[in-house]
Amino acid sequence: MASSINPLSWLTASRARARALPLFTRAAVAGIVVFWIVGVQKALWDVRAWGALVPDEVGLTSLYRLNTFPFIHLNFFHAVMNILALTPLLERFETEYGTLTALALFFGPFATLPAFIYLFIEKFLLRGNTAVMGASIWVFLLLGIEAMKAYRANPSFKVGPYSIPTWTSPIGILLAMAALVPSSSFLGHLSGLVVGYLCGLGVLKFLAPPEKALRFVEGKLNLMGRLPHYISVDQKKYGRFGVLPSSSSPASAGISMGRGYSSLPAAAWELDGRWPMADGKQTCLTSDQTRLGPLNSGLLRLRRDPRILKVPPYLSLLCILVGVIWLFLLPLDDYSRRTYISENALLPGQVHTYFGGSDQNVFRAYKHETSALAGKTNIEINDGLETIIKGLGLKVSRQNFTYRSAGREYSGENLYAILQAPRGDATEAIVLVGAWENVKGEVNRNGIPLVLTLARYFKRWSLWSKDIIFLVTPDSITGPQAWVDAYHDAHDSARVSSLPLKSGALQGAIAIDYPQEERFESVHVVYDGVNGQLPNLDLINSVVSIAGGQMGMGVSIQEMWQHDDRYPDRLRTMLRGMLKQGLGLASGPHSSFIPYHVDAVTLQPYGVGWQDEMAMGRVIEGTFRSLNNLLEHLHQSFFFYLLMQRERFVSIGTYLPSAMLIAANFTIMAIFLWHQSQIGPPPNTPAVERQLFLPLGLVSLLQSLSVIPLSLFHHAPESALPPLFALFALINLALPPALSALLTARYRPSAQQYHLLQSFSLLLLGMFLSSLATLNFSLALLVGLLACPLSFVRPSRTAAGRVTCYLLLSAVAPTAVAVWVWGLGGWGRR
Amino acid sequence: MRQLLSFLLLLFVSLCRASSSPSSPDAPDYHEQLVLRPLPLSSLLASFNFRTNITLSAFEAHNFRYFPRSLAQILQHAGTRELHLRFSLGRWDAESWGARPWDGAREGGTGVELWAWLEADTDQEADQKWRTLTNALSGLFCASLNFIDGTRTTRPVTSFQPEGNLPNSKLANTHLLYGVLPHEVVCTENLTPFLKLLPCKGKAGIATLLDGHKLFDASWQSMAIDVRPVCPADGECVLQMEQTIDMVLDIERSKRPRDNPIPRPPPGHELKCDTSKSYHSDDTCFPAEYNADQDWSISQIFGRTMKGTCPLADPSVPSVCLQIPDSRSVYTSDGTTENKNPDKLSRCFDITPSSDFELWLPLPSSPSAPEVVTPDTPLLYAERSFTGHGQERGGMQTILRNPSPTSPVEFIYMESLPWFMRIYLHTIQARIEGNASVPSSSLIHEVYYRPAVDRARATQLEVRMRIPPRSTVFLTYDFEKSILRYTEYPPDANRGFDVAAAVITILGEGRKRYALRTTSLLCSLPTPDFSMPYNVIIFTSTAIALAFGGMFNILVRRFVAADEGPEMTLTTVKGRLAGLAARLRGGRA
Repeated sequence: MASSINPLSWLTASRARARALPLFTRAAVAGIVVFWIVGVQKALWDVRAWGALVPDEVGLTSLYRLNTFPFIHLNFFHAVMNILALTPLLERFETEYGTLTALALFFGPFATLPAFIYLFIEKFLLRGNTAVMGASIWVFLLLGIEAMKAYRANPSFKVGPYSIPTWTSPIGILLAMAALVPSSSFLGHLSGLVVGYLCGLGVLKFLAPPEKALRFVEGKLNLMGRLPHYISVDQKKYGRFGVLPSSSSPASAGISMGRGYSSLPAAAWELDGRWPMADGKQTCLTSDQTRLGPLNSGLLRLRRDPRILKVPPYLSLLCILVGVIWLFLLPLDDYSRRTYISENALLPGQVHTYFGGSDQNVFRAYKHETSALAGKTNIEINDGLETIIKGLGLKVSRQNFTYRSAGREYSGENLYAILQAPRGDATEAIVLVGAWENVKGEVNRNGIPLVLTLARYFKRWSLWSKDIIFLVTPDSITGPQAWVDAYHDAHDSARVSSLPLKSGALQGAIAIDYPQEERFESVHVVYDGVNGQLPNLDLINSVVSIAGGQMGMGVSIQEMWQHDDRYPDRLRTMLRGMLKQGLGLASGPHSSFIPYHVDAVTLQPYGVGWQDEMAMGRVIEGTFRSLNNLLEHLHQSFFFYLLMQRERFVSIGTYLPSAMLIAANFTIMAIFLWHQSQIGPPPNTPAVERQLFLPLGLVSLLQSLSVIPLSLFHHAPESALPPLFALFALINLALPPALSALLTARYRPSAQQYHLLQSFSLLLLGMFLSSLATLNFSLALLVGLLACPLSFVRPSRTAAGRVTCYLLLSAVAPTAVAVWVWGLGGWGRR
Repeated sequence: MRQLLSFLLLLFVSLCRASSSPSSPDAPDYHEQLVLRPLPLSSLLASFNFRTNITLSAFEAHNFRYFPRSLAQILQHAGTRELHLRFSLGRWDAESWGARPWDGAREGGTGVELWAWLEADTDQEADQKWRTLTNALSGLFCASLNFIDGTRTTRPVTSFQPEGNLPNSKLANTHLLYGVLPHEVVCTENLTPFLKLLPCKGKAGIATLLDGHKLFDASWQSMAIDVRPVCPADGECVLQMEQTIDMVLDIERSKRPRDNPIPRPPPGHELKCDTSKSYHSDDTCFPAEYNADQDWSISQIFGRTMKGTCPLADPSVPSVCLQIPDSRSVYTSDGTTENKNPDKLSRCFDITPSSDFELWLPLPSSPSAPEVVTPDTPLLYAERSFTGHGQERGGMQTILRNPSPTSPVEFIYMESLPWFMRIYLHTIQARIEGNASVPSSSLIHEVYYRPAVDRARATQLEVRMRIPPRSTVFLTYDFEKSILRYTEYPPDANRGFDVAAAVITILGEGRKRYALRTTSLLCSLPTPDFSMPYNVIIFTSTAIALAFGGMFNILVRRFVAADEGPEMTLTTVKGRLAGLAARLRGGRA
């Protein structure tokens, strides 16, 4: 039966019902609303204190509470939820039993009985004094009645092999409410439900007022005639099912309510037991339009309103503005958070570090040894280091690698040693990297001796649960890359040799970049990975906590040598981080590890202070002790974050809306333009057919052309890169006018095709940017901001307009921006 | 009076002993021996061996004598003919330490390993007995052996041979089952029950040196229990139980006093420096070679001296042997006689039963003298690691190197992999380096493969290979990582899943076999985010969906009793059918 109802007809029926709520239901809802409005203030009359069902307050003089409490609600949300739940149930009850009965019952036993039950249990059994209020007690009461009814018609439903009696369903809801909704009164709901069940069973039938009396009252007062939406005693038995359409009616498919519906006296159609057919031939759509209430028709008018078409450009501008403002709000205290250690196993700074004392004598000796090697070839250096490390009793191995990139050949030999965990079994490992030269080409004068001294020191401890790998690479970018590629067998074995000696899964890596000769003041933590990937925030936090908290040295990030933790410095730090993330370059030996899900940072001592090499060694010792504590791979903390001070960050949930809003602006404009393309020129001629071929073809051609510069820049030798870039920038300048000239001359595109062209481009842009934002937020934001003008350009009629537009767009094109940045940087250096 | 009573008791006991000993006059029931072998890189291998014999008839008659009753009853109850149990920790550094003790026969992979020959008529019965055995041993040894379920049990075909003499009639209905727990951490709670099985319970004899602190600080240690029936050519079959503990101690680490175990940097003047360096001074010190030999004594290494000998042990077997060249001198406590063995590489000590025994090995007198016995070169080096990255696919690579310049080595490589690593058998390949004359295709002789069944059975792979002399073989295969069910992840899901060591059995001449195990591995599977917010979101969404669904259903659905809807009687059905037929007919016309 029910399944044959057209869904549309159901909708219309429910709308109809909403319009024709019976009298008592309206009164109850109005009562709740009034009490809520009164309850907004508390100074004049605290309605909640007055009317709630407080067990200790209920005396002979305050028995009114038994009746008032269902109307009074805690707050707006409470009231709205209860109205939403109560209205359909109460409406159903009223149409079934009549307004007078409902009035009598709900002001009488249905309010007081549950209240009495509640009072009895709460006050005398539990000896509590919890106040309850709200119409949810009625909701459960009515649910109980409904459930008993359903139980009679349909005793059980089947879930798999179990058959569950239908009357239990409100209990499930009751339990879910108690579990999920805070401060909901389980006992109050339960007492309502119990009364509901009793009523549904017919036990409480005696409470209902006698029909004769009702009829008498009704007749005497002529309630039917005087009150709108009144449900009479006589019509009540049809009240409930009177609105059901009959499936045998052929018109039920195109059911239409007709305009006359609301004006018909309710009894007339309900007694009939069928849907009134005002005009069976009307189509759904038109009947919908004619019948919809003022609100709906208002919405519809708005949809047709031409003014609404003016909104999208402003909306997309708003998106951009909000996105940018959002970004600038992030450094504020209210939007960023303090960092915290999420993985409790790390316990940073909780152990005493013992590196020092006579280890410094050893360090000096190793420094002499490595200083003697400075300036020699890679192989000679490795020979020298290998003898030292072998003397420590570690297993040493070497790896040759050759990379060809931009016409240059990067070759070298990595040296690495494995300190096997004394009682371990090669399942996990942590890496200590010391590059012979750092990114700037300075020799790691203190870093390499420190790695050697630490290797000797770590060997003495028996507490390592993971193998420790000491890796010395000739440079900071290609060497670590070759090593970590080979470790994960992702290398091209023709160029990069395999590792003869391996250990278990890498859990973390720390690189030392310590070329400074004099004593240092603070440690700079470099954490940017390639392609904008970041290490787990816990690793950075551990280093900060050990170096800053335990060792008492300064810690900085993003080359912010001075940081006063105020808004400008935070913003600067964040923007620097974003720029680096957006560019996605490797910033140190650690960068190559991050794509393999090995969390890594580089530590750079800087400044002139009183911290010596041993202090740096203790920082690394502490960090390794923390990593050694790890039971699981670092996974607890954030992988997507923006740091704005060493102890302040925003996580992806907070910053992502910014880039998403900017990406959304393109999508909004794309949809808008798609719609615009349908509408012809001013004398609105709707539903023009779209000519898709040219725009689609052109957009896909241009998008696919991007492969050419990509592969060119990828394969060109380094010396050819600047001229190639210049050439490409010139082409980039020349291509738009040339293309537009060609287009206008050859194809004479219509305004519609221009719209479509722009629509498709923006659609793609919005799509790419929003998916990119989840991976590399900064890059998406940068590209999005630079592309913003594209949303607002329109074909211009005047030549001057065209030239201005062209110049503006060219100025913010990525190639031009690169030139600008480079030029400004050069100027700034000078 | 009490003295008299105890004297009588002693007399009675000694009489009993006297009366029982003639039952096996020539087969001593129990003996124990400790072999100490200094290894290169200042390590020391200590092999403890305890052996108990019991005749099968006495065993059947429950007359256990030195054989531990607790274990014997388990063996009888589970119908076990032969049992091998291993608790291991750390890894054997074959590059430095050479061939393994006992030819690798007394060691297991990291964690706990158990294999046994059970007497059963059917596979089901064998499984049943295996479950009994693992559960009982789990209680006895305080290890999670009860987690060796169907998914961790395999039935190796070629890798294991019974060590004892099983009568052929019985061999037909014995079943070999093999289970391994790579994640099990071996610790003190496993040592205590182990010592309790000994007749002297660690109160006298070499077992007094077994201290949990030292044993589990070892670089490598393996505790083994082997029970096997041995039938000498003449005489009665005996059930032999051998308990073995092998450990490699780092001498420098072990010598650290127990009350000050932190390796603080020594004072500057105590550093051993290489004074030949030009820059050597008071504050600059290039440390001398790490592996310089060290002097040590038993009390330094083990933290205590040895308390005499076990009075129950066979006195004809020397308790302590030391394997060092004859040229080095050794000091021992009074009353000990030193017997140098004719091979000039080892010596044994006769110890007075009642007094403490101490042994001190000083530094070699001359720097040129050989410090330690050069270890034998192992027959095969094996190293196993994962290849690839990511959470979907992976690969396994085992590097097998035959160091021998002349003889090839033939062996069986066995893996028992968890079911969630689905291996692609077609990708298994062996690549040879160093010996071009042998084609790679001829390396693998035989493959026995039993695929895994999800959540029921582990993958079992046995490969028989032959590696020509002086060459290295890379055995590789790929696998896929399956996604586990939400409840199947352990609490430390992000740690990864342990993959048991591969067992390599080298086939020597005759029945001689050498065993070798690789290290275990950690396989990371795709892991959902088990964080608290994630769980909260999932649970609340589910609950709200359920609650809302129920509520919404009741609110909007109109329940109609059957009698209230339009009736569906036979006539209406007939009418409809008639109408349909009419329309069809009309359509055709």
